[in-house]
Amino acid sequence: MLQYVNVSIDGAIIHAVKGKSVLDAAIEYGICIPHLCHVPYLSDIGACRLCIVEHVVNGYSQVTTSCTLNVEEGMVILTNTDRIRKLRRNIAELLVAQAPNSRAIQDIALRCGVKEVRYPFRNEDCVLCGRCVRVCTEVWKARAIGFVGRGKDRHVDHPFGIRPDFCKQCGSCIQLCPMTVPPCDGPIEPGEEYLCGKCDSQLIITDQTPDHCVWCKLGESFGCGRYV
Amino acid sequence: MSILNMSKLNSSRELEHLREQLRRQRQNITTTVMVCGGTGCQASGSSAIIDAVREELSSQALDLSVRLCVTGCHGFCEQGPVMIIEPGNVFYCHISPEDAFEIVSQTIIKGKIIERLLYTDPVSGKRFQTQFEIPFYRAQNRHLLSQNLMVDPCSIEDYIAVGGYSAFTKVLNGLAPDRIINEIKSSGLRGRGGGGFPTGRKWSECKEAPGDEKYVICNADEGDPGAYMDRCVLEGNPHLVLEGMMIGARAVSAQKGYIYVRNEYPLAVKHSRIAVEQAREFGLLGDNILGSSFSFDVDIARGGGAFVCGESTALMASIEGKVGEPRPKDVHTAVDGLYHKPTTLNNVETWANVPSIILNGSSWFASTGSHGSKGTKILALTGRIKNTGLVEVAMGTPISTVVFDIGGGALNGKAVKAVQIGGPSGGCLSVDKLDLTIDFDVLSEVGSMVGSGGIVVMDEESCMVDVAKYFLTFLQDESCGKCVPCRLGIDRMLEIITDITEGRGKPEQLALLEELADTVSQTALCGLGKTAPNPAITTLRYFRSEYEAHINEKKCPAGVCKALIKYSIDPEKCTGCGVCLHACVYGAITGSKKLAHVIDARLCQKCGICRSECKFDAIRVA
Amino acid sequence: MPSQTLIQILKGRRSQPNQLIEVLQDIQENKGYISEGAMQTVSRGLGVPIMEVYRVASFYKAFRLFPSGKYVLTMCMGTACHVRGARLLLDQAASQLGIKPGGVTPDGLFSVEYVNCLGACALGPVVTVNGTYYHHMTPGKLRKLIETLSCEKTEDSQNVHTQYVEAQ
Repeated sequence: MLQYVNVSIDGAIIHAVKGKSVLDAAIEYGICIPHLCHVPYLSDIGACRLCIVEHVVNGYSQVTTSCTLNVEEGMVILTNTDRIRKLRRNIAELLVAQAPNSRAIQDIALRCGVKEVRYPFRNEDCVLCGRCVRVCTEVWKARAIGFVGRGKDRHVDHPFGIRPDFCKQCGSCIQLCPMTVPPCDGPIEPGEEYLCGKCDSQLIITDQTPDHCVWCKLGESFGCGRYV
Repeated sequence: MSILNMSKLNSSRELEHLREQLRRQRQNITTTVMVCGGTGCQASGSSAIIDAVREELSSQALDLSVRLCVTGCHGFCEQGPVMIIEPGNVFYCHISPEDAFEIVSQTIIKGKIIERLLYTDPVSGKRFQTQFEIPFYRAQNRHLLSQNLMVDPCSIEDYIAVGGYSAFTKVLNGLAPDRIINEIKSSGLRGRGGGGFPTGRKWSECKEAPGDEKYVICNADEGDPGAYMDRCVLEGNPHLVLEGMMIGARAVSAQKGYIYVRNEYPLAVKHSRIAVEQAREFGLLGDNILGSSFSFDVDIARGGGAFVCGESTALMASIEGKVGEPRPKDVHTAVDGLYHKPTTLNNVETWANVPSIILNGSSWFASTGSHGSKGTKILALTGRIKNTGLVEVAMGTPISTVVFDIGGGALNGKAVKAVQIGGPSGGCLSVDKLDLTIDFDVLSEVGSMVGSGGIVVMDEESCMVDVAKYFLTFLQDESCGKCVPCRLGIDRMLEIITDITEGRGKPEQLALLEELADTVSQTALCGLGKTAPNPAITTLRYFRSEYEAHINEKKCPAGVCKALIKYSIDPEKCTGCGVCLHACVYGAITGSKKLAHVIDARLCQKCGICRSECKFDAIRVA
Repeated sequence: MPSQTLIQILKGRRSQPNQLIEVLQDIQENKGYISEGAMQTVSRGLGVPIMEVYRVASFYKAFRLFPSGKYVLTMCMGTACHVRGARLLLDQAASQLGIKPGGVTPDGLFSVEYVNCLGACALGPVVTVNGTYYHHMTPGKLRKLIETLSCEKTEDSQNVHTQYVEAQ
């Protein structure tokens, strides 16, 4: 028997299944909360911090990730305040400055309202979203790849850097990776990085109805939960 | 000292009986010699001294009437090796093994003082005979640290003889869990590890959490660089911490406890292990402790060298054998902690305060300290200050008292410029803020925090931008790397500050730095990330002019940032001795004998060797 | 502490995944580093997937995945040591030996490491050589120490310590 609770998200009272995350409940209802490391059938780790919302408790707002916050009766959540939008924009700016050579990352930057990148661009191949690691660990239970190292040195690798024989090359990791699709104008060479921001039409739609899902093209590229 | 009773104690009465026996046995002791065997003094060679004194006492047939007690840290590490002789409270410092004979024959046998071994106060120049009189000690309230002097940390008998485990038996014999928790609540004890969370409330939450399997953990990770309070307490008095944990376990109904000690403290690991072994032998840990229905055991877990493992969820992951990656704490660890069971995690110093609260009562504890912060706090006073060491003061003591009355002010007649409190999560305060008190709420209001209690004093030769860079480098190194704000945010903040220290700073970068700092502090996943921007934010707030000098004038006023300074020789001070010329491997110094030498800036690599070799303080850095 | 074999280290800990870090600590203490072979044995012995063993071994600073030099120079980079000029010591060691922090010299004689606090703050700046503490170090003293160690032929680090102290 499913138990339900009532939560308030941006003023809308939502009847959500107990035990679900706020992000899942919002997506199902049609409220748009940007996310990157969240994949519906994988565990949520709260690593990208894009899905942050304001959780109002006793008059105080706590900023927390909606993917790790479970719904509870009477919860009050705000997904689109000025504070959240600014924080989200800054996080997206960090992401696109780090790895602009991906359509998904550029789309996320656009959706989160990044207008300028104030840091020197880098051209990394990986944003450490952990999707690949989680699908290999949780769905296939192969554990052929994992996070190795710490801090700046953290990266995804095979044990000892060599593909083990228990990696069956299923390709699930590649399928989920947000870095595999280059920007619309082609791959970006080191030294020529830029902020795309071309899909203006998509941005206008999302700006008009800031927290409603409009099945925008932006969600396609990074595997938004609505599309699964 | 012979061990009277190696068999298990089966009741509180047997423990009291043993205590009486031990006390009677020690009545024959006329003199006690306490030599510090802590890590600091060991590094200064105290082991050799201990051996020498022991040998001398034995050769003089004094080992039955004189007790040589190898204690934990006395807190005055810079004066080490340190020794105290009772009766008389005679304090000797900077001792060497060769002094053993004189100390035994003169002071111990004849009661004569050896002048040259006495402590000379650097501020007044006065010599002091007793520890009690020394200004460094006099201004303190050494409630916990003084207990270090009374016991040999590897001797449970010592601990029992001075009254150890009597708080635990009081609890076992009639203080119900609710009453224990109420005592801790009314005492006002707040977490000493940095968070300052009310301890009683944490215990209460854990006790009320559903489930039969519960844990207590002692956080001895002490990752803050410059902090070694926990090392001192755990190395010097492990049974005190153990007793605190036992009382806590009784209160929340935990069956198992862990002491998580960082890898870099081998002596603390060793002493905790010995203490646990001894407690087990005596029946104070294990099944049916002292014949009661309470069963509790403790294991030691070692850290792997990760600052982030001081964070509670990362610490627990580490005990579980996993990487120390924090997880979101939407549910407190008191409810969902180790192995997802209710867990009470407290810092070493917090646990160490518990036995005396139980014995003396909550009102006694609450009578010390300020309105919101009760009891005492151990601080590690280090940096460019005359008296460095471990200091214990009542909460509510002004920082200036600590820095000047206890610390003696800055080295070499320089002026104190800033005081950094609370480690990498804390903030730097300028000199005008030193009237503020050591108080959880007072300090967090100005953007700093008491943190673990590390206080680093900086003078005019410390560059505050460099300090911010230092902490960001540290945190970048220690970040687990899981979340974007911490991993990328700290990296970019460091990039900006490095630009500033290397002469590439632009004015608009300061606003960007502030905005980024604000974002990281609000969105990071764990405490490390959330507090990482604090050093940068506080230095920007209180020392903005230094940042501006680096950016606008491309100058480092303190003479630290290599790209912005030049080494030169002061012709007035240089005697032409040639030491620097020979020391310089880059051939950057030229000059003839007895004539002022010159540094060629093009060849100079600013390695600092010439400056450290020059006996005339003739090398200038600006 | 007498050297233990891998089997001795795993004794009593088989099939206990939560002992992973303790086991790796013991291996590090005994062998000086954790080899690929050791990790495979640990993986089988404790029942922890090899990816996880590798992940844990690479996460914690205490574990070295490559053998270190004969003399391991560890600089304390704690705050107290930093304000007394510890950074210059790291630069000195790195430039004198031609290696980066964390590296080993080609002749296998020296490793340069840094640690974030040794807990001997009053004696800073502190450098340890294979566990022996040298306090109040300066770039000049460090250079002399490294030079002394380079010439040293015996295994005894205590001997080196005496030589260095006498040379002061």
